[in-house]
Order: sequence, then structure tokens, then C-alpha cells
Amino acid sequence: MSEKNAPKPVYVGIDLGTSQSAIVCSNGERHTAKSYVGWPADMVARKLVKKRVLVGQEAIDHRTMLDLHRPLEQGMIKEGSEKDLAAVRELLRHLLEACGLDKSNGSAPPVRAVVGVPAEALKVNRQQLRNALKGMVDGLMIVTEPFAVAYGSDTLLHAMIVDIGAGTTDFCVMMGRYPTEDDQRTLTMAGDAIDALLEKAIRERYPDASISSFMVREWKEQHSFVGKPRDRVQVTAPVAGKPTQLDITAEMRAACEALVAPVAETVQDLLARVEPEFQDRVRRNILLSGCGSLMKGLKEALESELENLGGAEVSRVKDPIFIGAEGGLAIAQDAADSDWEKIVG
Amino acid sequence: MFEARTKSRLKRRMLAQAVASNLREVNPHAPSRRRGTLGVWLAVVAVVVAAGTWGFVAAKRSAPRTTTAATADLPAPVASISAAPLRSGPLPRISSNTMALGVRRVVLDPGHGGGDLGTQASATLIEKDLALDLARRTRERLVAAGIEVVLTRDADVAVALRDRAEIANRAEADLFVSIHLNWLDPSVAERGVETYLLGATDDPHLEALAESENSGSGYSFADVRRLLDGIYLDMRQESSRRLAAAIHAELLGALRQDDPQLRDRGVKSAPFLVLVETGVPAVLAEVGCLSHSRDAERLADPAHRDRIATALAAGIRRYARRPEPSGGPS
Repeated sequence: MSEKNAPKPVYVGIDLGTSQSAIVCSNGERHTAKSYVGWPADMVARKLVKKRVLVGQEAIDHRTMLDLHRPLEQGMIKEGSEKDLAAVRELLRHLLEACGLDKSNGSAPPVRAVVGVPAEALKVNRQQLRNALKGMVDGLMIVTEPFAVAYGSDTLLHAMIVDIGAGTTDFCVMMGRYPTEDDQRTLTMAGDAIDALLEKAIRERYPDASISSFMVREWKEQHSFVGKPRDRVQVTAPVAGKPTQLDITAEMRAACEALVAPVAETVQDLLARVEPEFQDRVRRNILLSGCGSLMKGLKEALESELENLGGAEVSRVKDPIFIGAEGGLAIAQDAADSDWEKIVG
Repeated sequence: MFEARTKSRLKRRMLAQAVASNLREVNPHAPSRRRGTLGVWLAVVAVVVAAGTWGFVAAKRSAPRTTTAATADLPAPVASISAAPLRSGPLPRISSNTMALGVRRVVLDPGHGGGDLGTQASATLIEKDLALDLARRTRERLVAAGIEVVLTRDADVAVALRDRAEIANRAEADLFVSIHLNWLDPSVAERGVETYLLGATDDPHLEALAESENSGSGYSFADVRRLLDGIYLDMRQESSRRLAAAIHAELLGALRQDDPQLRDRGVKSAPFLVLVETGVPAVLAEVGCLSHSRDAERLADPAHRDRIATALAAGIRRYARRPEPSGGPS
């Protein structure tokens, strides 16, 4: 095929999250999916679901008849599990197919992807990700998630990104250069940890209530807050088989507020490493992203915790769900053809 | 606010560095494209190799080492390197990332033992026993991850500080982690997690703590002077800091899941002699507080000790597989 007729590559940015993944493509498509993959547990289940594999909310909804996997842990592929590696491939295939980029039908254009990973992702985890994507994309760049957020939101200088996900909370100080190890941190105190605290507290207060981790996660996604509650948080759960309204306001507050101190401490620690004449600028330019940033009152709580530093200004990205993937897409599109050719080899 | 042109320039530079970082991962054997300082770095690396695995690279030494591998037999730097001449003074600090050293064998050091009880919350909650239990649980987890583990004691016996370091050195360990339980001020209900690397401090509490832990060490002043001479030029100091940070982050993250109010008492330097003689990255982890009743109750629970052990192992593994430097060509 002559160069003139060669199909133009499609660029994608992928945010592979522990609980939720997102993809944004240069062809205008954008999708999210919960990071769950399930295979029918037996022939009966196969007949009922009528699919080889289910991904996302569909997998969660049919979980009782599936071998269900959430293959990412703290933002990276779980180690030592063939099934989780296969699950990641299915998740990625699902996202690419949703954008019309399925390689299996042979007619898809070349795909150049940028994927965001936690700030302190280990080399072996990054290699696992490359292996998982082999054959699905024609070029792959891996960057840290907070860097992708910074790039996508044009926050490149004298700023700090705090990306609050399910598995990890990632921090990145942007000083006008590609961030080094010292500019970044990953905490495992994130959405999943809040879910665990919340579930434990609800079970302690309502020992007879039947609740599941999926219910708790949904309640948190709908009602999470820190600081003074604006409304009571009332949810419904079966107690001895009877749907019963439960007030979980105090439990929700306590679980969500557990995030504030570690985040503030890490912000302080990173700020202390910034050159003194720039610390004030960074402190006044802290940007929250990720699903955790949607927590009501979080911005105010962090500003209050950081008051003793002389004040901080915290804001949130406009679209916390897609910003990481959008940043990845921006990186993919801005990289020159020659760079992509080198990476492919 | 800065101009669009500046933003565009910054993006181009960052993109180049992101591409370079990915190229290094995809093709790790490709020649480095670093300019200018390559010759100097090669010379520095050659000197470090010549100095042996201990990493002591001071140009002037007050006394020859008597307990380590001989430096006289080590190969001379490669003659073909056209490098800047070696300085006559102390060499600059070398980032441990430059050496990209792996971790194969870890020494875990349960504090105290035998007649040396350590701190004590009750007749059954004694630091020496808890530390040994935690070391054994941590060993299980590290071995499952393919890392060899040596314990400085695997029984309730007294082991001198000097001998603990000797065990680490004879085992040719890559890391040394000493496990302790804390005793803070019971009157103010203090508790939390703190992790130490070797270094000076001006905190009188830490000095007193180090003095208590260092008692009966068997070291003389001359010994300590000789050992400390090389410490701050040693890349081990930086690696120890990274190891301490990795362990501390994992401990805090894990223990706060159950106890969100747990205080982060930080990563600190203190002059613990047990960390001195070991020639590898070494830290001392205070993983709980026996002076606080709630912490003591938790420490009595095997499930909580499992949590601590999992976090210690995770911290070691996190340090062991740290990513390459992500900065691109300058």
C-alpha cells in the first residue's frame, strides 16, 4: 500500500482505573466502563447471558452467574494471575470496540494509544500493561496518570495535581518539565479504602442489615461528603428481609474524612520539596481530579487543613471522569509521527 | 499566567521526555543519548565499582577497613574511558537510580531478644516477642514473593547490635530492616508510625531513643568515627531514605484503613548504631506503640500483626522494584 493510501492512525487516550476506565479517541468517540470483567460460570449461565464475556456494569449486574474479576489493584494489573491479565485484555478490547477500533475485523485503522498509570507504578507493572495491549494497538506510550491530567488541563507549571481514584490517590508537582520520581507520590488511601471503612462502620451500626460492597460503593458515589452534612444520608437496605431505611450520615462523613489528612500530609510533603521561591505558587494551584474529587466539601476541607501553610487554593478539573483519558489523547496527538515510529520500532 | 508560546515549548519538551522514557522501557539496551556528562558518569561508576560493594567512595580515608572485602584486589578503572580526572576531594553523591541495583536478599532484624525485653505493655505484650513474630510473618510474605530472607535472630535470644550487622554483611544482604515497637509519652496518649534511617538529629527525644537502643552496642568511639566517616558520601544514605519512605507509606496506608486517626510520625534520621555497620540500605521501623492501650490491644491481635507484616513486605517490594528515573535528556 502506498504511503498516500495508508490509513491514517487513530489516537486514543486511555485511563485504566481500578474501579472505572475511560477512553477518548481522535475520531470523537468517548466511553467509560466499570473495570469489571466476568465469564459465564457454567453452561447454564452461558445460555442466559448469551455472551462469551461481559464487561462493565453488565458484568456487575449479572455477577451471580459469572466468574467475576476486577483485574486492577491500586491502579495496576494484579500480579501472578493469568485470569486477571485476560480480564484486562477484555476490558481494553471492550473500550476499543466501543470506539470502533476492534482489530479482530481486520479493517480498523492503526491505533496509537497513551495509557495513564499510577505515579509510582513499578517497571514490572508497566511491562505487564505492554504485554496486555500487544496486538490491540499499533503504538503504546505509558505515562503517569497525574501527568496526563496536567497535560490535558494545560496545568504544566507551578501546580500540583491530586488524582483521587479508587485504588490510588496520585500526586504530581508540575514544574514545567516531565515529572521525576521525586515530583510524584502514590497513596493507597483512595476510594476503595473509603468503601471498606464505610462498609465496616455500617455493619457495626446496623449488624442485621444485609449489605454488599457494591451497594456501599454506590452509596458513596451518590452521597460522599466531608465537613458538615447538608442533608441526611438515607439509604435503603434489607434488614431481616424487609427493605429498611438506614441513616448513614455519620458513617459516610467519617469514612470520607479519613482521606483528608493523608492527602493534606502528602501535599505538604511534596510542597516542602519544591524550591522555596515557587512553593507559594504551587500551593495556590492545587488541582483535584478523579472520581474522588467529586466528594462534596473536599476542596474546602483540604484548604482548611492546609491553612497552617499560609493558605492553599484548591480547585477541581471540569471533567474528572474523562480528564485523564483526554490528557492521554492530547499527548498521543501531539507526539510526532517519528516519535511513534521509534516507539513501535 | 504564561504565554501560549511558553506553554507550547513546555509541552514539546515534556513530550520529548515522555517519549524518551518510553523508549528506554521498550528498548532498554539502546545506547543512552545523554550528552556532555556521560564521560564523567562513567568515570564515577568505574570508581564506585573499584571501591567494592560497600559503596564507600571517599577519596581520603582515615584508616583502612578491617572487616570488609579487600579493595586492593578490585580492578582498575577501564583505561579507554576518556574521562575528566578524578577529583582529589570527596566525590559527589551518586543517585542509587544510576546503579539500578536489584534486591535479592533481605535481612530482617527483630529488635531486642533474650534478657533484653525492649518495651512492654503487659506480661504478655513484650517488644522482643512481637518483633520476632512480625519478622517471621514478614519473612513468609517476602519468601512468597521470591525474595530471600535472613533473620538476625529466629528465637528468643540476645544478639548484640554489632553481631546483627555482621549477620547482614556475612549474608551479603541487599537490605536491612530492623523491626521495633515504640514507647512514647503515655500521659498524652501519643501513638503512630515512624520510620528511621541513620543520620544525625537535634531532637532530644530521638537522641534519647537512640541512646536507649544503642546501649550495650559493643562499639568504641573509634569504631563509630570510622564508620560514620563514609556515611554521607555513600549512596546508601539516599537508598535508605527511599527504603524508609516506601516502608513508611505502606505501613501508614495499611494501618490507617482500620484506624484513620493513626498519626503519621514521619520518616526521620536518628543515630541508631544497628544501622551503622550494615553496608546496605538500612532502616528501623517502629510499627506500633506499646505505650498506647488501643495500639497495644491491636498488637495482641494476630490479624493486625498480619496487616503490619503485609505492609512491611509491600514496602520492601515497592522499594525493590522502583521504576527507572523518568527524567529525559537534559
